[in-house]
Amino acid sequence: MRRGLISWSREEVPALVLERRVARLQNRMRDVGLGAMLVYTSFARPSAVAWLTHFVPYWNEALLVIFPTETPVLLAAFSKRVHDWIRSVSHLGEVRSAPDLGRAAAAFLKERSPEPARIGVMELDALPWSVAEAMAKPGSGAELVDATGVFASVRQPADESEVLLARRAAEIAARALDAVPATARRTSEVLSALDASARLDGAEEVLTAQIRRRSPPGRALRRRAVGRVQGRLGARDALFFQERSAAILGAGGEMVRRNGFASGREKRFCRPRSPAPAGQARLLDRRDLHRKSAAFHLRGGPADAATGATRRRSRVPVPATQPG
Amino acid sequence: MNGSTDALAGERRARLAVAMSGEGIDVLVVAGNAWRSDYLRFVAGVTVVEGQAFALIEREKPARLIIESAAEAARFRVEQPGLAVSWEPSPIEATENAIHALGAKRIALAPFAAVPYRLAMGPLGSGIARATATLDRLMLRKSPAEIRAFRRAAALADEGYAVFREAARVGRPEYALVADVEAFFRSRGCPENFQILGAGGKEVHGMHPPTERRLTPGDLVTTELTPCVDGYYAQICRTLVLGQPSEAQKRAFTVYNEALERGIAAVRTGATAGDVARAQNEVFRRHGLADYVTSEYTRVRGHGLGLYVDGRPALLEDVDLVLEPDMTLIVHPNTYHPEVGYFVHGDSVRVTSEGCEVLTRTPRELFSVPIA
Repeated sequence: MRRGLISWSREEVPALVLERRVARLQNRMRDVGLGAMLVYTSFARPSAVAWLTHFVPYWNEALLVIFPTETPVLLAAFSKRVHDWIRSVSHLGEVRSAPDLGRAAAAFLKERSPEPARIGVMELDALPWSVAEAMAKPGSGAELVDATGVFASVRQPADESEVLLARRAAEIAARALDAVPATARRTSEVLSALDASARLDGAEEVLTAQIRRRSPPGRALRRRAVGRVQGRLGARDALFFQERSAAILGAGGEMVRRNGFASGREKRFCRPRSPAPAGQARLLDRRDLHRKSAAFHLRGGPADAATGATRRRSRVPVPATQPG
Repeated sequence: MNGSTDALAGERRARLAVAMSGEGIDVLVVAGNAWRSDYLRFVAGVTVVEGQAFALIEREKPARLIIESAAEAARFRVEQPGLAVSWEPSPIEATENAIHALGAKRIALAPFAAVPYRLAMGPLGSGIARATATLDRLMLRKSPAEIRAFRRAAALADEGYAVFREAARVGRPEYALVADVEAFFRSRGCPENFQILGAGGKEVHGMHPPTERRLTPGDLVTTELTPCVDGYYAQICRTLVLGQPSEAQKRAFTVYNEALERGIAAVRTGATAGDVARAQNEVFRRHGLADYVTSEYTRVRGHGLGLYVDGRPALLEDVDLVLEPDMTLIVHPNTYHPEVGYFVHGDSVRVTSEGCEVLTRTPRELFSVPIA
């Protein structure tokens, strides 16, 4: 779950910028004849709603309802006591309590659009069953259609606010890497230093990717595992830590460039094998680490279309094998 | 996998096989993502960090995993060599095809919260049974290996709260406190923690992610922190004061401490979740605080813990789920107090045949942090 600093700096992302994004979407909705559009958000899929409203759920789920001419409404499965916090970090019209999100959405749509209407849903195929069921019932009055393309058509290019945020994320990540002590001997020490630095620097979340090598140093890398790769996450989420060979460093740098940011930093350090003491750092130290590097993987940049970009990007970063 | 993870996976898989057999399920299809990975963790031992994933579980056969992220697929191939992992850029479509290829077998889907619309309500949906309730039942009572993981998570929660107490100093922003705790958890190999907090006085009505607000003398600082070990979350809730507690804060603590004690005393095999909630709420009613145990001011009086941070059962007076041995819960009478603001106090417990075992050990005090 997300537990870093979630705040809204009006200097970083002015309300006008968010309003322009929503207006772009509303124009497109009118073009294609949608009575409303629904965008689902959760810890796992926050980027589209964050781009439109600056709201990022630290847990739980919500549906953003966008009508062709009004300020977006958030149906939030959060406790009502959190609504003030939601309003403080996002640019929204009404925030409605919706513990049963699907039923609340069905009722809300019926209330606001008594006549049957075409309702566009971003990534309709992926909408959770628990949310979709009530809306898709016969008699709900809504015709749900996939509107992933509608959103994708307005998502690019990134505006200046977005690029600045991503640049800041890169700076946070760079300082975090600098904070890793050269004497670190275990993954847990590295991750701890990264987390502390990035969070103290105001990171919204810190996600790390590790690539673990199974073969001894100096021999071909037969297999790697990658963990904690971030994809559809918040713009200040910035960290992508990799344990990988020097040859793969290029892949990390390439990934940063693909996202349009030249500020990626890399750090490498070598050390002898050091099995973790029993009972300590076991979850992350299943394998010894030998050479480590890091690169930053930024969300929110020009390459993040929020629909499909993750899939396309996921083919790129790391070739199947690299020399160790 | 290490030994304890192996044991966990083995126990879970054995229980799952029995349940599938009992329900006549040939193939169980379980969906997950970074928000709801608990069911996937139970059936296949994986915690998804990016994208969607689907596990296809057939009795007596190795599980198959269809996953959206190539990086995640690579990770799971190493971490779970017994899984047949395939990376599919369109995992929903791939899963739909896989289900279609299964033919006439009896197929069930879970969980309600994560199965995508296309699978549940698309062309194949009408022929697929729902299995969320079956898995929910399995996940309520913990096996010995699960209890061991939960116990380790509870011990880590205690240590984490000690770090939080050290971190809470006048002038520091809220997010710095969480940074210290997270760094500590990473240093101990804990990959995940759910934590929210609140700081201030009567104006504070709940907890939230940390803000930029800096701590000031007299603040009540609340937190619930929830570290995860081998996929199992345990939680602790405590409140501290920056400086010496006021008389009002001391009085409030007395109420919450009594409510927690009454709640824990009500936890026993055969009691209902509602009984535990009622025991806590009665204390507030007796102190003239009845309004503050309603949904206007509080959400639940505790909840289940395990592979999800906010599991079943919710401890609410109208929940009649009967407690059984080896269920794991947090009991927390967290709510707003009109004199001092939002206040939290809670411990993780394991239900036993006699009552319950309290697994978090941090003293039940209103901690005072010196201002200097």
